[in-house]
Amino acid sequence: MATGFLTDTTVCIGCKACEVACKQWNQIPADGYELTGDSYDNTKQLSGTTWRHVAFIENPKKRRLTGDVDLVALAEDVREQLPGGAELDALGRWTFMSDVCKHCVEAPCQQACPTGAIIRNEFDNVYIQPDICNGCGYCVPACPYGVISQVPHDGRAFKCTLCYDRQRDGLEPACAKACPTNSIMFGEVEELKRVAEERVATLHDKGYTEAFVYGTPEVGGTGGIGGNHSKFILLDDPETYNLASHPFLPQAKVKGALVTSAIAAGVLGAVVAFAFRD
Amino acid sequence: MTDVSQESRQQQNGRIESSHHPETDSQRQDKNYYGIPPIKKAHWTWQIPIYFWIGGISAGVQLFTTLANVLGHKDQALTRIGRYTALITMILSPILLIWDLGRPERFYNMMRIWKLRSPMSNQSWALLVYGNLSGLIAARQAAEDGLLGRNFLSGLLTKLIPARLLGVLALPVALFVGSNTGTLLSATSVPIWARNWAFMGPTFLASGVSTALSYLSLVLHLGRWGEKKTHHVLRRAERLTILVETALIAASLVRMGKWGKPLFSKEIAPLFVGGTLLAGIAAPFALLFGRETRGKSILASVLALLGGLAFRFAVVLAGRESADDPEAYFSFAKKENVVEPQDNI
Ligand code: SF4
Repeated sequence: MATGFLTDTTVCIGCKACEVACKQWNQIPADGYELTGDSYDNTKQLSGTTWRHVAFIENPKKRRLTGDVDLVALAEDVREQLPGGAELDALGRWTFMSDVCKHCVEAPCQQACPTGAIIRNEFDNVYIQPDICNGCGYCVPACPYGVISQVPHDGRAFKCTLCYDRQRDGLEPACAKACPTNSIMFGEVEELKRVAEERVATLHDKGYTEAFVYGTPEVGGTGGIGGNHSKFILLDDPETYNLASHPFLPQAKVKGALVTSAIAAGVLGAVVAFAFRD
Repeated sequence: MTDVSQESRQQQNGRIESSHHPETDSQRQDKNYYGIPPIKKAHWTWQIPIYFWIGGISAGVQLFTTLANVLGHKDQALTRIGRYTALITMILSPILLIWDLGRPERFYNMMRIWKLRSPMSNQSWALLVYGNLSGLIAARQAAEDGLLGRNFLSGLLTKLIPARLLGVLALPVALFVGSNTGTLLSATSVPIWARNWAFMGPTFLASGVSTALSYLSLVLHLGRWGEKKTHHVLRRAERLTILVETALIAASLVRMGKWGKPLFSKEIAPLFVGGTLLAGIAAPFALLFGRETRGKSILASVLALLGGLAFRFAVVLAGRESADDPEAYFSFAKKENVVEPQDNI
């Protein structure tokens, strides 16, 4: 059985309860008081000490409100023609997204790991065994989502464990438990995929035709990595959420590189041997 | 002018505007999240580029001395230097690599498993094999040189260690180590490295051979060792290798395209253009022509060696800039650009 997340960004209110719950449950050290000065978001990105991160996206593409705006309609998420020719897009101007490790099906971090510290556990989640990791840091640039980083003063790499410990006790992960709007759903991957498709269909019916599921091999990228166990319902281009539209498997060409290197070795050998000629 | 004031008057006349003003928010024009890098750069510090350099030298020295041996060119000084160099580089390399680990005391976990897909794992095993082989070969050399005294043990070592055979066996492993320093970088999500997967290994290997030839020539000159022919061959091989290296760097730049920009940034251009291309390739190449003098050879060797070091630093630092640039990553991780298993190049 494979478990994963479905994060529905359309109902996220940006409360960051998931970040707090994750930090508390997993006893992750603080990141320090660093403010970007760019937005209300003060944790900036996923890292070895931030396993859930809520992005605050101020969206410029949406039209500004003009005309005689009906604030009630705005609050109620209405998309019909508004009195006075007002244009609005209730969800568009401000979007939140709780980001997390994607638990890739063909995880680049796991393929990079030279110690075998990164494994797939019995829930088919990508898990770093902290007692094995020796902090080589090779998984860090391998991850196509910038999820992992080395924790200073500890030396090892950390990321979301999908609350391995809680799952073993039959509990859902701390972030999903804490989420007040059910933006973060936890469950079986297949089941969540169905839920995601239904939700996107509903959104399309409501007029949000831009909604799509990110993390399936068919839609929204995830080219060489076979999809993600953590999926997202997005309302905009993946890049807006700091996700690549077509992430790739960095190890896809290791064999190819070995071939080109062998050819180069042959050529260099021939060149040096040629120099020995009298 | 009139339009603007008309517009603002209209706004004041009961029209509502959202609190957010896209046109004044310059940050939001490009599609990324406040310029925060979407991928993380490697933390690797100075030990890693230095290891890349040393590993390359080791591979090249093994290539040259083994070929000399196989082709019947017997030069005692060359063989000796080659064997001791292999040992020293294989002592330094693991030290540098372990030093850079977040948990150095757990380095042996690299030996828990062998993963063909992980260049770092392959490299660890290659270093283990090559390191042990060069240790054996160097032990035999030390016994022959009388460094271990004239006792039973050194007699035994001389008799039991088939140094020439081991040297031939070590060659492919050494060449793998030399090229894998480049492949290791290309198997990441960093655009400038990943894009150039086909030429990273070859370029690092060519640069490694070039620095190794310079190193051998330098040591032989400094010690006033080596036969005349050895010097002559080294010089000729170095000229050819520099040509191969230049061609590979040119091919890499073409392949990297716009993702190669970091190599020419303000911080890295001095290392790459000045240190690698001009001082490390063009200058030694020029010095290798014309009359052969000791001074000129030494200068050429020193320049080529430092150029190789500058190259390693330039590529590693350029990777950091590339990883930190959201535009570079997002434009690379698009269906049309990204490297897929079925792509030929
Ligand atoms: S998102 Fe990154 S850290 Fe998570 S499984 Fe994929 S490669 Fe590994």
